[in-house]
Amino acid sequence: MSDLVETSEPIGAVRREPLRSRLKIPLMLTPALAIILLLFGGGILVGAGQSFGYFPAIGLNEFTFDYYRSVLTDPNFLRSLWLTFRIAATATVLSSILAVAFALVLRHNFRGSRLATFLFQIPLPVPHLVAASGIVLLVTQSGLFARLAYSLGVIEVPADFPVMVFDEAGIAIILTFLWKEIPFVGLVVLAILQSVGPQYEEQARTLGANGRQRFFHVLLPLIMPGILSTSIIIFAFTFASYEIPLLLGVRFPATLPVVAFRQYQDPDLALRPEAMAISVVLAIVALLLLIAYRRLAQYAVKR
Amino acid sequence: MTNVVLKHLSRRFGDHLAVRDLNLEIASGEMVAFLGPSGCGKTTTLRMITGLIQPTSGDVLFDGESVVGIPTERRGAVMVFQKHLLFPTMNVADNVGFGLKMAGVEKPEIARRVDEILELVELPGLGDRKAHELSGGQQQRVALARALVVHPQVLLLDEPLANLDANLRITMRHLIRTIQRELGITAIFVTHDQEEAVMLADRVALMFDGVVQQVGEPNSFYKRPATARVAQFFRNSNFLPGQRTGNVVTTSVGDVEVDPDLVPEGSGHVVLTVRPEEVQPVLDGSTEGNVVPATIESVIYMGSYTQLEARIGDETWNVQTSAAFMPKDGETVMLRLPREHLWIVRDDSSEEGAVAS
Repeated sequence: MSDLVETSEPIGAVRREPLRSRLKIPLMLTPALAIILLLFGGGILVGAGQSFGYFPAIGLNEFTFDYYRSVLTDPNFLRSLWLTFRIAATATVLSSILAVAFALVLRHNFRGSRLATFLFQIPLPVPHLVAASGIVLLVTQSGLFARLAYSLGVIEVPADFPVMVFDEAGIAIILTFLWKEIPFVGLVVLAILQSVGPQYEEQARTLGANGRQRFFHVLLPLIMPGILSTSIIIFAFTFASYEIPLLLGVRFPATLPVVAFRQYQDPDLALRPEAMAISVVLAIVALLLLIAYRRLAQYAVKR
Repeated sequence: MTNVVLKHLSRRFGDHLAVRDLNLEIASGEMVAFLGPSGCGKTTTLRMITGLIQPTSGDVLFDGESVVGIPTERRGAVMVFQKHLLFPTMNVADNVGFGLKMAGVEKPEIARRVDEILELVELPGLGDRKAHELSGGQQQRVALARALVVHPQVLLLDEPLANLDANLRITMRHLIRTIQRELGITAIFVTHDQEEAVMLADRVALMFDGVVQQVGEPNSFYKRPATARVAQFFRNSNFLPGQRTGNVVTTSVGDVEVDPDLVPEGSGHVVLTVRPEEVQPVLDGSTEGNVVPATIESVIYMGSYTQLEARIGDETWNVQTSAAFMPKDGETVMLRLPREHLWIVRDDSSEEGAVAS
């Protein structure tokens, strides 16, 4: 029947589907969308409102940029922003490079390569908090590494062990991120390498490309899209992560998510709008950085 | 140009001997085909020449110098793979210029030589295209150009035409042959298709089970196959066993005379063969000159010729004759095995069994 209806229509007419079927997909998505919009969007709206000074619960009804002004003119804010960026960028770059190195080894068949690949994936399901505690047990001045170094006579007292936890460089934070994220990037790169196979490199080899040239001119362009998409995810995550820096970071300067979280938790509700302003700035900065990164990446891949 | 010598070349993979004691000299500017069924060791041999795999024993020499210790990237043996393997992240010009770029050639020089070689493979002006925008045949030409542009010592082609359709295969075959002759480049290619080997190569090396069975000019495989298996690979399964005394072979269907100038000397058990297209039906009742009786088992009219299956003694022979000759099934006819086409092959049916077991 529907065939007949279709053919009887004049040529060139825009065939419209019945309203019901056009609404089907949006209607089916409604429950999921409602939850996202209400909980997530609603939260953002309330948060943004508070950051602009709309917080009726404590009697604030005036729309104002004061909180943003005070956040952005605070020298500690810039210091925290820089720290947050530095930790996220270091973790992203290092985990990408190390993951590629691991993937290059793991793609070969060698004795125990299956076991090695299995071990490589272990960090994936482990929660970040557990990873953080593990790192603490290893690298604090009373940790396993310090004791090992002490009993081997490398250092004279455990306190000589370099400070890696609660330090300003954020070494333990970065280590935790690396431990968690290297397998994530690595498995994506490994999957690409395995689907590409060794042929392109063999072809390049017979054409006279040495090992370094084969990596930079043949392999890297092939795995670059995978590295870029995973590293965007990692950067976004590490930039906004608060629990690891809160646990392993020095109290001051703290990363922005930690500062926002502390102010949010403060019993003094008057600090709440400022916490929200920090969160909004954090989100905007992250968004801008990611857009810039994507642009740069697309340019690099197309070239 | 380079001459290539393979000396006692062997390669073992675990328990499997993929290539066994291979000896071959390829003259400078010559085009040689390694022919054989899949798994016969021909690609392994090619990869040993490039250095992508190392021989278990034996040597590879370019112009008298061993290259076994020289890594692939400095050997100058460029391979064109079966899958064309254009780098997907580069356009055509960058693909073709890849080898020159790796060698550190100046950009304008690369551009000039890339244009020149694209002209040669009849793809002028396609440098800006992406690899995936080209047809299969064009990709194969780009792969060929990419190999040729670096002036390789030896050009190696692994089943270069296998992924192309029939028409394209003929064009490409012609193109490869013309360019190879024009540049005087030493070339070795691998194929499982005996027609392709015969049409392209100056000489063919036929391999079974890792062993070279016969090396020679293409027509030697038709006229003088070394063994029954070689003959079969070239679509000749006409065999007739007998006892040889001097120039006469006594078979179950009578005495047959061989040409002493053509077949090697010998006596005792031999296997005779004549190619299907050389067997002649005798219509005038003559019995002179190797005429034997045969029972027709099937007749297939092929248009330009007739394809017969005829029983000679205990053997089934294939015969291609003029389309005018149309015997009936079960009829007994006389067939001449012309002395000038009669050849003796080594009976390797027992060897074949030994390899298979």
